Amino acid sequence: MDEYPAGSLDPSIPFLLTLGVSGPSDHDAELSPQLKEQGFLLRSDLPPLETERALFLLRYIQAHDASRLPWNGRDSVKGVRHRFRIRTAARTVLLPPRRARLPDDVEQPPHPVVLHSPFSPLSPISPLYPDGVIGTEWIRKHQVLVPSILLCFYSLVSDPTQATLQDNQIKTDINNLRGFLSQSGYKTRLAVVLISDDTTSPLEGVQERVETIRRGCSIDTKCFFLVPPAESADELERIAENMLTTLYGVAIEYYRDLGRHARKKRGRGIAPQPTVPPTSGTSGTLSLAGWNVRYDFKSAVFAEFRVEFENALRSYDQAYEGLLSSELLEVIPSWDPRWNEARFLADVITVRYIASLLWGGQHSAAVRRWQLHHDRIADFVERLGRGTKNYGWKAWESRWAVVMANLIERAGIPDLAPSSQILFLQPEKAAMGERLQPWELLHHTGYWYRLAAKHMYGRRVLARAIPEDDRRPPGLSPASQVAGKAFAYDTYMCPDPHQEYPLDKNDDGVDHSQLIVELLMKARSEFLKRHQVRFAAELSLECAKELAVIQDWPSIVELLRPLWKDMSFRTEGWLTIVEDLSWMLRSAASMVGEAGVVVAIDWELLNRNFTRRTGWPYNIIGSLDGMTPKFKPKVHIEDGQTLSFITASFLFQDGEGKAGQSANGQLAIRSNAHPGSSPVPFSAFQIDFSGSINRVVVKHMKEGTTRRERGSVALSAVALQPAEDEAAEPSSVELDEESRSVTLQGVANLTLAAGQTIVLGMHIPLREPGETCAVALTLTIDASTFTLDQYLTFQPGANSNNWYLPTLGARRVSRTNPLSIKVLPRPPQMEIVGLTWKEQYYTNEPISLEFEIVNEEELEAAAKLDVTLSGEEAPTFTLEVPSKAAGTGSDAVQGTGGRVSGVSLGAIESSKSITVKIRLPPVLQPGEHDLVMKVVYFLSSNPGTPITQTTTFQLNIVNPFEANYDLLPRVHPNPWPSLFDPSGVRDPAATDAATVAPKGLSQTWCLVTRYASFAAEDLRVVDVAIRVQGSPTVRCDATRTVPHSPPPDGWLVQPKVIQDAAFDLVAQRATLDDRSPTQLNVSFLIRWKRADADAAEEPNTTTLPVPRFAIFGIEPRVLASASHRHVVPEGRGKRQLLVELTLVIENASNHLLTFGVSMEPSDEFAFSGPKQTALNLLPVSRRFLTYRLLPLAGGGKEGGWLKPGLAVRDMYFKKVLRVVPTEGMKADKDGGVLVWVPPEGDGE
Amino acid sequence: MATAIPSIACLGVIGRNNNPLHTSIFPSYDPATSSFAPVRTPLQFSLLLSSTLDVFELRARRVGLTGDYGLLHAVDERLASYGFETNTGVKFVVVVDMRGRRVDGGVVGGAGALGLREGEMRTVFKAMQTAYVKLMQNPFFEPDEHSPVAQTGAAGRRITSRRFAEDMRRIGEGWTPGVTAL
Repeated sequence: MDEYPAGSLDPSIPFLLTLGVSGPSDHDAELSPQLKEQGFLLRSDLPPLETERALFLLRYIQAHDASRLPWNGRDSVKGVRHRFRIRTAARTVLLPPRRARLPDDVEQPPHPVVLHSPFSPLSPISPLYPDGVIGTEWIRKHQVLVPSILLCFYSLVSDPTQATLQDNQIKTDINNLRGFLSQSGYKTRLAVVLISDDTTSPLEGVQERVETIRRGCSIDTKCFFLVPPAESADELERIAENMLTTLYGVAIEYYRDLGRHARKKRGRGIAPQPTVPPTSGTSGTLSLAGWNVRYDFKSAVFAEFRVEFENALRSYDQAYEGLLSSELLEVIPSWDPRWNEARFLADVITVRYIASLLWGGQHSAAVRRWQLHHDRIADFVERLGRGTKNYGWKAWESRWAVVMANLIERAGIPDLAPSSQILFLQPEKAAMGERLQPWELLHHTGYWYRLAAKHMYGRRVLARAIPEDDRRPPGLSPASQVAGKAFAYDTYMCPDPHQEYPLDKNDDGVDHSQLIVELLMKARSEFLKRHQVRFAAELSLECAKELAVIQDWPSIVELLRPLWKDMSFRTEGWLTIVEDLSWMLRSAASMVGEAGVVVAIDWELLNRNFTRRTGWPYNIIGSLDGMTPKFKPKVHIEDGQTLSFITASFLFQDGEGKAGQSANGQLAIRSNAHPGSSPVPFSAFQIDFSGSINRVVVKHMKEGTTRRERGSVALSAVALQPAEDEAAEPSSVELDEESRSVTLQGVANLTLAAGQTIVLGMHIPLREPGETCAVALTLTIDASTFTLDQYLTFQPGANSNNWYLPTLGARRVSRTNPLSIKVLPRPPQMEIVGLTWKEQYYTNEPISLEFEIVNEEELEAAAKLDVTLSGEEAPTFTLEVPSKAAGTGSDAVQGTGGRVSGVSLGAIESSKSITVKIRLPPVLQPGEHDLVMKVVYFLSSNPGTPITQTTTFQLNIVNPFEANYDLLPRVHPNPWPSLFDPSGVRDPAATDAATVAPKGLSQTWCLVTRYASFAAEDLRVVDVAIRVQGSPTVRCDATRTVPHSPPPDGWLVQPKVIQDAAFDLVAQRATLDDRSPTQLNVSFLIRWKRADADAAEEPNTTTLPVPRFAIFGIEPRVLASASHRHVVPEGRGKRQLLVELTLVIENASNHLLTFGVSMEPSDEFAFSGPKQTALNLLPVSRRFLTYRLLPLAGGGKEGGWLKPGLAVRDMYFKKVLRVVPTEGMKADKDGGVLVWVPPEGDGE
Repeated sequence: MATAIPSIACLGVIGRNNNPLHTSIFPSYDPATSSFAPVRTPLQFSLLLSSTLDVFELRARRVGLTGDYGLLHAVDERLASYGFETNTGVKFVVVVDMRGRRVDGGVVGGAGALGLREGEMRTVFKAMQTAYVKLMQNPFFEPDEHSPVAQTGAAGRRITSRRFAEDMRRIGEGWTPGVTAL
């Protein structure tokens, strides 16, 4: 908009001129010299006011100059009750002449001339004369030359002595001014402000004086103001505000008069004649249509002054249509300067029209009008002018877009402010529902500036197309060409071809690039304000391209570098954009010498996802060839900062490992560089881990390393060793972090060709338990001209998970996160060995267990021992550990509750052992127990970490023997005591049963035991015995009968083999009177040793309880015993076996009993003795009855059993008594007895 | 009298991570040479499509809606972008060339070009969505490859389906103002 003449596009705001106070700048109308000469000078004779109040008032008025207010009718400015363009003058004002004099060189016509305004096409001095329509000068006339209100300041003197004089002076001055004004012919309203000076006494009389002055000057009350004395600043402001508001009404009235006047002139319908008819040129005078356009334009401008936009729009439209009608623009030849003037007027009308629409909030209509004007002018230029394929047309198009942008800015539409985040306005109601062009929704100025820039490109293209002949300065080219140029090039508001694009490079032509860059930067700032970062980036890119044209390399770097660093295009995959921007920045950076940027860009562009530039070497090492940077650049590229052509993945072969061992890992680095690009010689890779693994650095070394290659994969095994020069490297930031910052180093061939994959296999020692994970990789190139670090983080999702086998085949590892490894705690290297462990232990045996604790660690270990013996009724035990004090002896610790804990074993040296013993006293109950030995130890290298080794032993305790028993009756040889024998009477005085010899009945029994070993091994039985529990009433003695005498070292008992033992028991009651049944309480004792025990060892004793046997029954019993005897019968000479069968009938009761005894004869033997008899037994007595049996020869009973048919019957109870066999006999199945007959020749 | 009418200059499909999935460019009528040629270079169309992302972000921040975004912005008198976002965050962008075709005989008044009504692009978006749904139904199409969920640094891959490109071409060439089904 600045390209248009000053004031031509300014909004119409009522013009107020103050007079009488010297302001900071005096009004200068800038009249042309010609007009200045003819101008009217208004002069006030009084000196300008300099009082503080007057200045304050003036400042207030100036501060409310409306020419900078947003040009819209919105609420934000509705509160404004007046709009003035304020100018100040001290004492003199120069007004343009109302009537222009005839120029001197014009011939005086014969008839009296009618003089016209110097701005009218009628006056010869006007540039419009004779057929122009209207010019900027006229617009300026009402904006800055002729005020609507002349506001005069005077001081009202309070001093009564001077009051009258001063008042009269004021009156005179005002009247003078009035006279001048009316003389000038302008209808400017005169307004007066009287400012009472500070010392004015009360207002009495003042009102009267004021009124007198007013009347004396015949000034309207509306234009006459008095500022009372001693008012506060607030009050002064209020007064000034009221004054301006009142005056605004007056000013509107003034412009209404002017507008009415213009309409009246249009209504006349005739074209006025110029002061003198034109004599020069071919042009005639302005046609009536032209006059109508002039009048319509005037009406419109005056309506604009009055803020009557409906009227203004109507009048502008009329003027516009009139101007572009067939009567005006159509008939002006394009070579005529009036053609450009008409175009200019059309522009002005349209700009004012659009401004009025924007004022009324009709945004879409405004854009439409903008477009309409563009299209119509294009049509005109195409049809009648020099065509639109012309740099002049493009220049206008560009300007036209800028004008719109400026109008939008001036309108200050709040909805389009950056804070609203709205890019374009919705159409106003009137335009809604129509088929709108999207562009007709008013977009913010950024779009308009960009549009302007776009047209500027077109201008340049067309300017460049100007043939050389036309580019010569006019003086140097033939006249015919000059004439030709005039027809060929549209120079409306733009320079001639030789200035637009001078042939001589040294001439200052139009710097198109600079213009484009300015427009683009304006647009860019608008887009940035609204967070349209991508759009702004696009503009930056365009801008950079322009800057490249003018070779402003530093600006390009400044513009693009931040963009290149973090543009969203890269992460979002808009590769073509990234590529374009990178190349642009690279070329600029290489010019400027930004070596770091060049290297980084070359690095990124190696990625084959970008388009390959033909002829580009793609050699990163030679990236800086041709540049001489001041210092060697160090480039650090973060992950994601560029689209790296390198993808890295790492994986552990196993998901678990143990501390102290090492894990297999593979680092795979794949290049996605352009095929044919030079191999990248890395100097080092560095892998960083989280957790406890060290950093791993692999350095490049070509000699001495081998790598296996097949296809695009190159596999090398890297041997890692702790770096030696760690401490020498001061840059290592983790030096203070204890020992874990030790770096592992290895070497391999690290040259990576395009499309190749380098696989590095390595064994990584694991040190501490926990989760550890490969985090990041740093690739370093250390070239002669630069260093480059590329930092990459490993992404679990992006990892390739391929494990390369030595055959270079790949196997997919399907773990969820192969980047990490779980390091388990180090396994304990402490062994607990049971030295004398046996499968079985036996009850009644003291158990001694011996354990050896072996330290297999490489270091000394301080150990503690916990022992727990669990199980049902866990026995107590004693733990013996070697005494710490000396090499000999041991400390014993008693286990309580089945456990011992925290027994210190002291320090065990590496590969040494100590022996501990656990002793258990003889256990009575068999059972199974768990013996848990837990060694907790600390290594001297890591005293904070306990290591635990636990071993469980199962302790089986079983009964070694089991036995069963038979109690067989025997005949007691001694006679029974007699009831009548006084010696059998118990001495009542003797109370101590033990000391009294028993006098009661005696019985003999034989206890036969059969025992067997239930152990798993042979046991040595030293002795067997019986223990009879004593009783007060019965005395009982036991004598072993079988086996008679054990061998001195006992006899070996094999498992599960039954052994016999027999004992004779002789029991005697204490007294004869005792009749109660008695039980025999006997235990069977086995004294034994383990087979391998030495002789000195004390034998163990196992006691087996024998079931109770009842003895001394009160029922009578019959015992049978047999004995053998050989007799030689007389005369036969042959020895005969005689069996003597003795029956003993015992009656232990207190009754007299009678028994019948009968003996059946038999074929097997002959017998002597009663066949049938009856025996009477006295109470407590027994009787013997003896039969002699002679087994009959041929009976075949030698070496067999005889069965005598013997029956004993209780006569009284009629009951057969069972005959109980004793030695040498046995019971028959049916209750009888069998007698053993030894074979012939036996028994001698 | 010849009237300019809008045509589609470019169809863009943009993934959830703002990554370009597909771009189809259509030639416009050039009255100067009476031939059909794209109005911009592919790079410029890329820039044009990516600049719409600004608008998507702005609008989403303001109202947080999905679906039809209507007019995103008009970059100049000729080109205007319209946008649509599916509920999975995939964005469809239609770049309309307001003077891409020319018909003889005034359709709607005057020498000006034919404008567009609000919502007139819905047909195009519907057709694009149908095509996209068809693409998604292909069992060999992995949406995660094209719009990775985790930010792994890599923007997703482009759509390579020939059938989808064919669909886009059909839509772009078949649309004229007032078409109700594609």
